[in-house]
Amino acid sequence: MTAVEPGGATRWDLATRLFHWALVVLAVFSFVTGTIGGQWMSWHLKSGYAILALLVFRLMWGFAGTHEARFATFLRGPGAVVAYAKRLWHGEYAPHHGHNPLGGWMVVLMLAALAFQAGTGLFSNDEIATEGPLASKVSNAMVDRMSALHDYNQWLIVTLVVVHIAAVFAYRWRFGVNLVAPMLKGPSGGTARLAVAGVLLAIAAAAVYWLVAVYPRP
Amino acid sequence: MKTQWKWIAAALCASAIAHAQQPVKPENQVKFRKSAYQVMNYSLDTLEAMGQGKQPYAKDEAAKLADILLQVSILPQRFFGEGTGGGETRAKPEIWTHRADFDKKMDAMIREAQKLPAAARSGDIAALKKAVGDVDEACKSCHDEYRVKRK
Repeated sequence: MTAVEPGGATRWDLATRLFHWALVVLAVFSFVTGTIGGQWMSWHLKSGYAILALLVFRLMWGFAGTHEARFATFLRGPGAVVAYAKRLWHGEYAPHHGHNPLGGWMVVLMLAALAFQAGTGLFSNDEIATEGPLASKVSNAMVDRMSALHDYNQWLIVTLVVVHIAAVFAYRWRFGVNLVAPMLKGPSGGTARLAVAGVLLAIAAAAVYWLVAVYPRP
Repeated sequence: MKTQWKWIAAALCASAIAHAQQPVKPENQVKFRKSAYQVMNYSLDTLEAMGQGKQPYAKDEAAKLADILLQVSILPQRFFGEGTGGGETRAKPEIWTHRADFDKKMDAMIREAQKLPAAARSGDIAALKKAVGDVDEACKSCHDEYRVKRK
């Protein structure tokens, strides 16, 4: 069970929190290694695989995870989103159980942008000595296209991250709500849920391993 | 008689200079530098694969490719003459307005390439991987500044 704290913020379960911070670390690591290049490109690829596995996990967790983590719980129609945004605009804060209607779509946008990044990366190269595991399966024209998209999309992700962090600060300053603390500390979610998360993560990792290491083998 | 020798000497000198500066027309400069890069790309790809264990390390082959890369690494610089920024090229015009920096980056790449043959012969996969990574990084630093990105 996830309880709403007096401040109104949701208390996230351990699996969701670990997912969040692992994604933060890996996304930053990917950005830095991709920018430096050279020695770091092999790590850039590995980091991308790990992100892909996390995203596959999160997709499954969105159907089989805790109540707050499920897409069905936090994806609301345009009416609810607009209504929530209007209230925010007028300085009213309504505590939400789990993601608020606006934040819910931000989650989807963020996950989609990251999935697009990981997906295009599989088919990209850097025109020096590094190529994604599936680049040899497609034409050079396709590799060029994917590489260009991989390059552009990083800035969309950076933008989303900036908006995300700005929103966290805005809630803090405008409404005095600390959104960081519940992402750090919270309930475990129970052993059974954690076990489910572990199994889902293992399935995701195996699927990605097959995609990047087994399937491309000549 | 004396005058004649002078003219012959002058003609020989002129021909020697002309020979040293055999002009390559811009279109071919673009073609040659691209070809050089492609050979370097192939060599580095293969060495990278060996360094990462994606391809078995074979000392002779690694040494051969490292030598080829080093030999070819001095070529691209020759074919970035004035007026070779047009046509089928992704070379940015900044190359010719920031020539000193461009040449510095080229030299850095050649310096890294010079370390490659020894690393390839060392039998030390980690050393090979490191040397390949250093060449890679030198390539990238120039691409980032002076090569038009793919669209």
